Amino acid sequence: MGPIIPLFEISEEINLLIAFLIGLGFGFALEQAGFSSSRKLAGMFYGYDITVLKVFFTAAITAMLGLLFMNYLGMIDMSIVYVNEYFMSSAIVGGVIMGAGFIIGGFCPGTSVCAAAIGKIDAMYFIGGSLIGILLFGQTYPLWEHLHNAQQLGSLKLSDTLGLPDGLLGLIVIVAAVGMFWIGEMAEKRFKREDISKEI
Amino acid sequence: MEMKGNKYMNPYLAGLMLGIVLLASFYLTGRGLGASGAMKSVVVSGVSTVSSEYAKNSHFYSKYLGGEYSPMKTWLVLEVLGVLIGGFISGAISGRLKFKLEKSPKITGRKRIWLAIIGGALFGFGSQLGRGCTSGAALSGMAVMSLAGYVTMMAIFGTAFALAYFFRKNWI
Amino acid sequence: MKIRFVLSIVLVCLGLVAAILPQRQNSSMELDAKQLLNEIQLENYMISVDEMANALINNDPEYQLIDVRSEEAFKAYSLPGALNIPFEKLFDEAWAPYIDQVARKNVFYSNGTTLASEVWMLTRQKGFKNNYILRGGLNNWYATVLDPKEPVATDGEEAFFDYRARLGMKQFFTGEGTPASTSNVKAKKPVPRRKKKMVAGGCS
Repeated sequence: MGPIIPLFEISEEINLLIAFLIGLGFGFALEQAGFSSSRKLAGMFYGYDITVLKVFFTAAITAMLGLLFMNYLGMIDMSIVYVNEYFMSSAIVGGVIMGAGFIIGGFCPGTSVCAAAIGKIDAMYFIGGSLIGILLFGQTYPLWEHLHNAQQLGSLKLSDTLGLPDGLLGLIVIVAAVGMFWIGEMAEKRFKREDISKEI
Repeated sequence: MEMKGNKYMNPYLAGLMLGIVLLASFYLTGRGLGASGAMKSVVVSGVSTVSSEYAKNSHFYSKYLGGEYSPMKTWLVLEVLGVLIGGFISGAISGRLKFKLEKSPKITGRKRIWLAIIGGALFGFGSQLGRGCTSGAALSGMAVMSLAGYVTMMAIFGTAFALAYFFRKNWI
Repeated sequence: MKIRFVLSIVLVCLGLVAAILPQRQNSSMELDAKQLLNEIQLENYMISVDEMANALINNDPEYQLIDVRSEEAFKAYSLPGALNIPFEKLFDEAWAPYIDQVARKNVFYSNGTTLASEVWMLTRQKGFKNNYILRGGLNNWYATVLDPKEPVATDGEEAFFDYRARLGMKQFFTGEGTPASTSNVKAKKPVPRRKKKMVAGGCS
């Protein structure tokens, strides 16, 4: 039964090796999807290229379904799997700041690393900016400490919050995503930008 | 070799691949993917090198110091190193390795660089406040149906959509 | 275009299946029926009355007797040093540190072995270790230790050896007046529960 490494108390060195291998797959998938191009990523918000939506939701749903079925087949102990802790105000405020960073900078941290790997200069500056941002946060931490730790609600699950079974919520997410794919592809036609699509 | 205009993988298939990587991560290690955490490790070890006394006294940096391993020898740092090399391999296979400043022809290179730095800084700052970025909080969080994941995802994409109009000149 | 269509249908179908499947909570600690059957066949979860009596005589701290009968039955008669965890209270949080532990050998007993076996199965299925059953229960204890039968001449030498040892045990458990006292039954306090190993995650 999984998760393998924490359950079988496998050594930290193997864990780090697995981290590297998973990172390889992560970087490869991101680059193949075209997440190494800021103009492709930004296309999401102007409708001419919704690759972000397609990749992001397909990936999230694949993993979600995989976990649901693994759990049903007794292959994974979900009580050990990490569920992000929810701090209401910092999640929202942080998310808003990140959203602004996304539309201004054109990357998110994962994609910027992947883009820098193939030589995108804007991505390298983005990484530099990220380090500055984190340093800024660290230096001014006392100002945000309260907000950062306020309204801690623990490792809440959306399904529990809504009172739905996991499987049903999964279906709802899938239906919503399928709808978004359909609308997104219509938007791609409507806001088509041949000039940009050709370059990226 | 590949046809023009179709040089990237089909996004749904790429998403499927990414999803399988994410699932493997959960199955093997019990945790999802991440990116901003590795950048934080770089900052923390940098600050700690400059003044370890200062870092130890800070409420923020001290959280990531004093463990068994140095902040540079953590799961996320190794994973992001993998991202770097995985991205490089993919770029090499598909013939996309090239130094390039990608920008809209309507803005200057200098402006693009400043936008990238400012955007990066905002993302870096926000990821610390919000405990994770698009990969660590939103993508991984959504896969385990965590409320934090969905809220962060909606906050990031909602804000980006809301602000898209004001920054349209930089992109289209 | 075509890929989206196929993917949409596949995802919705899988989603429907996921929604129909019942909720399930796995615990990595639990054993499945097959593993349990294996352990039952091995029979090494039994502790003989002689072994237990010796342990009690030697004050061996490795063994912890646990009486799974009702409180009344326990008050009426119990083995020395035994702890009373009535069957129906087995999975009370307060008792968890006693039945789910790795330090001592828990020896369950009841009058016969039925109740103790049930308790053993339940705890073993949960994945708890170090739990055993007193072979034959209190009935066997009485027959073997407190009222040993003299072997007949045709029995082997071993039987006589055992008999002499049992007489010594009888002397120990009855001779000192109080074969089983309830005075050493202390109200045990709940102990904080040990936690499962958790993983870190996210970007922190």
